[in-house]
Amino acid sequence: MNPPCPTIAKYLLLLVSVILLSPLLSTPEAQAIPAFARKYDVNCTVCHTRAPRLNRTGERFLENGYQLPGTEDGGTTKKFRLGDLTLDDVTNYLGFRMRGNILQTTHYARHASGTNIDGNPEDRTEFGFPEVFSLFTAGTVTNNVGFFAEIESNLGEDETGVERAFLTFNNIGQHDWGHLRIGKFDPSAYSSYATLRQQFELVGDNSVDNGSFMLPTMNRIGLTPAAFASKFHGLFDRSGTAILPTAPSLFHAVAEMGLDIHGRPFGEWFLYQVGILNGANEPFGDSNNPKDWYVMTRFDLAQSDYFSANFSGFAYFGSNNAKVSTMADVSWSRYGFATNVRYYMVDIYAAFVVDHIANLPNSFNNTFDETATGLTVEANVLATDRLLLGIRFDHLDAGGLRTQRTSNSLLALIAKFYVRSNIALFLRDDINLRPAQGGRTPERNFRNAFFVGADVAF
Amino acid sequence: MPFSWAPMWRFRKPLPLKHVMLYGGVLAYLVCSWPVWALATATPRHDESLSRGKALYEKACLLCHGRTGEGNGPDAFYLGAYSAPRPQDFTGAEFKFRSTASGELPTDADLFQTITKGIPGFMPAFRGLSEADRWDIVRYIQSFATVNQETASTPILLPPGPLPATPESIARGQEVYTLLDCAKCHGPQATKPGGLYAQGKLRDRRDLPILPLDLRHLSSFKNGHRPQEIAQSILTGLDGTPMASFRETLSAQPEDIWHLVNYLISLSRSP
Repeated sequence: MNPPCPTIAKYLLLLVSVILLSPLLSTPEAQAIPAFARKYDVNCTVCHTRAPRLNRTGERFLENGYQLPGTEDGGTTKKFRLGDLTLDDVTNYLGFRMRGNILQTTHYARHASGTNIDGNPEDRTEFGFPEVFSLFTAGTVTNNVGFFAEIESNLGEDETGVERAFLTFNNIGQHDWGHLRIGKFDPSAYSSYATLRQQFELVGDNSVDNGSFMLPTMNRIGLTPAAFASKFHGLFDRSGTAILPTAPSLFHAVAEMGLDIHGRPFGEWFLYQVGILNGANEPFGDSNNPKDWYVMTRFDLAQSDYFSANFSGFAYFGSNNAKVSTMADVSWSRYGFATNVRYYMVDIYAAFVVDHIANLPNSFNNTFDETATGLTVEANVLATDRLLLGIRFDHLDAGGLRTQRTSNSLLALIAKFYVRSNIALFLRDDINLRPAQGGRTPERNFRNAFFVGADVAF
Repeated sequence: MPFSWAPMWRFRKPLPLKHVMLYGGVLAYLVCSWPVWALATATPRHDESLSRGKALYEKACLLCHGRTGEGNGPDAFYLGAYSAPRPQDFTGAEFKFRSTASGELPTDADLFQTITKGIPGFMPAFRGLSEADRWDIVRYIQSFATVNQETASTPILLPPGPLPATPESIARGQEVYTLLDCAKCHGPQATKPGGLYAQGKLRDRRDLPILPLDLRHLSSFKNGHRPQEIAQSILTGLDGTPMASFRETLSAQPEDIWHLVNYLISLSRSP
């Protein structure tokens, strides 16, 4: 028997109620100055539209290796000297972030009760806060030398470890000519639509690993931007672990190891970025000698009248950076465009990305789609000082094994209420736009996921 | 027949649609980027200091204050969103942080000081720039001015002080706080905003609601929390906000300003 219709109306009613009641939670006090802002004595809104999303100042601060835009203040601001050491107070570079879903409920078109059967998962409502806990330290060692390290514990994915860690060497040659990053970092950090610091937190898939070079059993697809996703069914990393089609990868990986350089040598309107990485999904070391490399350019348009816009184009060239089920190496590349337009309270993002697999073994010629695309469009509106509303559309035209590949279209809605600029409560609903097409694949079976969560940074 | 997205996005062999999309996209990208290149390289030349100031302003200041200096940069809205503050408008006549009388433009040194000190909560201190760089920015900021002031701006003189923060001085300061009706905005005992805020009557020059300063937190005093800085804010007022100048009101008993300052500083030590 099919479950009752997803109770979207109930959630929407709850969402509206929270929005209407939200002013009761607000207080007329000044907003707190949380962790990362301590060093510069400023509010979060100096660098974020609303945390965690960066505004242009925040983007430039990041580009400049955690130094104020236009300056090389890494060795001076809030520093004290001990011999040849230049030190910060520990509070000026230590912070934490705790986030997750206080309540999460997922509905499927066909579901089992009590048992979890392949392609027939059970509806669930569960508590999960805090799902992700991050301890991070970032700042400058001295002028033009910065660092970032983030240790993350993700209970949902049962993983704890160094999420990102890198050094930056900034303003090489002349101011803004070149900034070097070395370590484990997010390649898309400077593009128009970056993988991290989104209002819609990346929600991983729900799947069961079936062993090396075996396809996993997927219960629910990941709720991640389709443009950033892996997009292919039947791809494996070099250790034989399946790469899930909705996991962010390549240029949009959460973190990969390598080095890159970026800068604005011609002024504020143009940014370049060139990087080289061990490869896709390489946790540590390089199991395959050839490297992946990428190039990105970004153009920043008008910067006045509360308006700004930019667009980026990138190409990521992979070399033997993935495998298919026969353990043969393939080369997985990615090309795409992204844009961001911001006008007063409206903040719009879009990305269209094409992935391509080269060097596919002949035996896969008629069974494997070597091209896949992803489109993501997102809009955020700051409705009041404390309430942010967002909507995101994702369309993934999947590639890979034709027996497995199923495209999907999702719509996500979010209402985020900022009790303080560093404390947010949110309601989020992810809706499958194509459940009526039937089928037992996780792309079709998934109907709706509703989250009530919190995001606190200090 | 059910609606399907597939034909919109799927590229199949032997159709070269994906190539058309990709190369078309690259071409469109280059075409779109050309006007940006053309505009950026068409910048006229200025004298050296102004050019340096412009280059620095575009890196460090433009994102909040905007290309035209009107305080409407791309990040300006999100600073306070539907409430004050928004970034300073350099084209107008109303500057908050000045050593000059209300209605006058700030001195060069005032602008230099604001860049150097920053504004707690809303603007970082740009001490990381060299003094010469900061003066270049001052020069460029002044080029936005559309207001012609007949006489040069001159700082007002503070009365001799500050005075020691004795219990008597603090008690007198509390009386002055009442006499000047500070509670209307800052609330009695400064524990919560006053009645004018509750009535929605406190608005800045952009007609945005403005939250009065919480006087119990010295660290949030936007013009600094040294006695001289607090006294200056009270005497000059913060133009463009409801914070008026009390220079004339206090002219009969100039030393009262220091008693008031002592009282305000004492509030931050209250439990």
